[in-house]
Amino acid sequence: MLIKLTGGTVYDPANGIDGQVRNLFIRDGRIVHSLNGATPDHEYDLRGKVVMAGAIDMHTHIGGGKVTIARNLLPEDHRADPEPRRGLMRAGCGHAAPSTLTTGYRYAEMGYTAGFEPAVLPINARQAHMEMADVPLLDVGGYVMLGSDDFFLRLLSSGSDQQLINDYVAWTIRSAKAIGIKVVNPGGISAFKFNQRMLDLDEKHVYYGVTPRQILKSLARAVHELGVPHPLHVHGCNLGVPGNVETTLNTISGIEGLPMHLTHIQFHSYGVEGDRKFSSGAARVAEAINANKNITIDVGQILFGQTVTASGDSMRQHANAGHAHPDKWVCMDIECDAGCGVVPFKYRDKNFVNALQWCIGLETFLLIEDPWRVFLTTDHPNGAPFTTYPHLIRLLMDKSFRNDMLSTVNPEAAALSTLGTLDREYSLYEIAIMTRAGAARLLGLTDRGHLGAGAAADITVYTDQADKEKMFTRPDYVFKDGELVVRNGEVVKVVWGNLHTVQPEFDGGIEARLRDYFDRYHTMKLDNFVINDWEIEGDGRSKILVHPCHQGARS
Amino acid sequence: MTALTFTLKLPLRQRLDVSPLVPDVLLGKSEKEIALLPLQYGNRRIATAELFDIQGGDAESVCISGSPKLDFAGRAMTRGALNIEGDTGAYLGMQMKGGRLCVSGSAGLYAACELKGGLVEIAGNAGDLLGAALPGNKKGMSEGVVIVRGNAGDRVGDHMRRGSILIEGRAGAYLGARMTAGTIAVRGDIGPCAGYAMKRGTLLLYSSHSEIGATFNDCGMHTLGFLPLLLKGYEGLDTCFSGAPASLARVRRFAGDLSVQGKGEILLVA
Repeated sequence: MLIKLTGGTVYDPANGIDGQVRNLFIRDGRIVHSLNGATPDHEYDLRGKVVMAGAIDMHTHIGGGKVTIARNLLPEDHRADPEPRRGLMRAGCGHAAPSTLTTGYRYAEMGYTAGFEPAVLPINARQAHMEMADVPLLDVGGYVMLGSDDFFLRLLSSGSDQQLINDYVAWTIRSAKAIGIKVVNPGGISAFKFNQRMLDLDEKHVYYGVTPRQILKSLARAVHELGVPHPLHVHGCNLGVPGNVETTLNTISGIEGLPMHLTHIQFHSYGVEGDRKFSSGAARVAEAINANKNITIDVGQILFGQTVTASGDSMRQHANAGHAHPDKWVCMDIECDAGCGVVPFKYRDKNFVNALQWCIGLETFLLIEDPWRVFLTTDHPNGAPFTTYPHLIRLLMDKSFRNDMLSTVNPEAAALSTLGTLDREYSLYEIAIMTRAGAARLLGLTDRGHLGAGAAADITVYTDQADKEKMFTRPDYVFKDGELVVRNGEVVKVVWGNLHTVQPEFDGGIEARLRDYFDRYHTMKLDNFVINDWEIEGDGRSKILVHPCHQGARS
Repeated sequence: MTALTFTLKLPLRQRLDVSPLVPDVLLGKSEKEIALLPLQYGNRRIATAELFDIQGGDAESVCISGSPKLDFAGRAMTRGALNIEGDTGAYLGMQMKGGRLCVSGSAGLYAACELKGGLVEIAGNAGDLLGAALPGNKKGMSEGVVIVRGNAGDRVGDHMRRGSILIEGRAGAYLGARMTAGTIAVRGDIGPCAGYAMKRGTLLLYSSHSEIGATFNDCGMHTLGFLPLLLKGYEGLDTCFSGAPASLARVRRFAGDLSVQGKGEILLVA
């Protein structure tokens, strides 16, 4: 199949193309230099249109146990947002925690072609993959969670060799078919079960005697030495606690130059100034990030309305359960190795704290200078459902709109925030970096997030409009691996995405040790953790793509 | 003007959502508009006139011929009268706010669920979860009166918040389970586990066969001053609970459910 996209205005930051008129050629799902004189089967006239690679959401909770729990917990979320069968699309429902099919359709209709699930528990990885495999039109991948599991904490507290930890991390990534490692409230999920209700960066776990700082360093080093492209994905200590900006700054300095990704940083940027002992730490965090090139972040912007927070951080979710709206929540242990907390939440624009959270997120976006190191997320669904992304993009690109919105939120919070004084407006090029090129680079996806020859033809075409929310809500065309899947914001073809993974090398000796460990201490055995290729590819829908690890990172 | 009457042309083959056939929607609509009103019938939408013969013109008083496949009758209605001639399916009077809804036959699951006001009368039996909360919701019926002349199924008044359910026949298991408040009166026998996890509220039971769970504390026989007042409130309603003799009763009071530190009560009429 040969396709020609004629005369579009291309924004392709990975190749340094900033709004130049170009022709693009697609041969069998890949972008090529030219068609070598062959006549294209389809030609699309894109004159006056904006062309970008398909967008990548690098942190979105779309699969795994907690999403299922959120769905079970919130039938009203489903009743209030039914999605009837329409055209090629099957029925679904859900605003904050949509069903799998609806998730895929809605992402595609906004021009997204990939989404990465950031909290895959090793023992739940199979279910997470099955759920993600049921999301159409979207490439997926997962970060597998370590850091509160007994095996790792035993290794660390007994002063094991880093090499052994590396092997365990590599084995976990491979067996869970993941693309990176996530750590959630390092050690805190485990400490919660030993009756600790908070665990600061240098506080010792009462049983293992290790600190979150040690856990972060050990895991970040493992990920780095294994050559996994995506740096350690960190959901830090003290999420949502006023004053946690100090913890965040210490975390940044404490990692000692190793690559680290701090996720939903908005929830970790709170100060204790002012009458209410709650203030913005965004400026200090942004300053630290601007200064430390090894750090990347995604924001986890909140937007007002009803949503549900779903997290592995059972310690913090338990602390926040009193704020549940509607008043019901779940906190649970998972196989003694991890946890999960689901708390429905309504962010209110007239509420001081919520309004300030909103400001803090936007300040973070606007104060971090390098768009390659900041990513556009709402931590779906924790800050807001992903369907709010076009609104968020407009807030970033349109200063007067942002200030109009600022004037409607809690005035006390608005007065405390520096948001009104920030003049920065994101350009289309910078949006393309944040949502495409940067995300692909961060994850090590060499053939995604750009439009150069050899890239997979995941392409989104928009009509440039003054109202960026409208523009990004409804693309004219979306191509997934060279197939036209969305036309004028409507799904016209349903295809299935790929699973992105990495396969770091490890010493096979770890398996014998793990097998013995699981046999002795676990209800689940080693084989329960290992996902085979056929389990993903057996139905002929998803393909596993393996991305290379860096060479020579091992010291 | 006679009542606006919808008569089924043929027996229903699929479930039919008749929630649009309420005075709130029909008032001010022309005959033609009503005939074209789309209804969800199984997995397709169909014009009202294809299923029903439509007669009469007073949309304040609507009459529908019954069927056990007729769901959502009187959903969210706020005014007027709706009469079902015969049986009705699930979700009768769901989230209804006002008006009067009468069924001459029996009702299915979830009748009067999350009722917010008005009067629901069922001449036959009611299914499970009468006046309950929808699955997963925290609040069941929160206002209004439900009268059942026949029997009711299990879990009557699950998560009930306020209002009255008056059952002249028997009731099933888990009567008033997880009630927050409100009143349920039952003339006949009841099933096991009455008042399971109830927080507040009153179950008024007239059958001597009622078994009370171990987590309810026997408080002895009482003549409760509030009881005649409560029953006086039902005067004017067509129910056996509004008669004078009922109000003279002495009751045995059980407090609970103690397993959830509940302050509710089960009153057994002597």
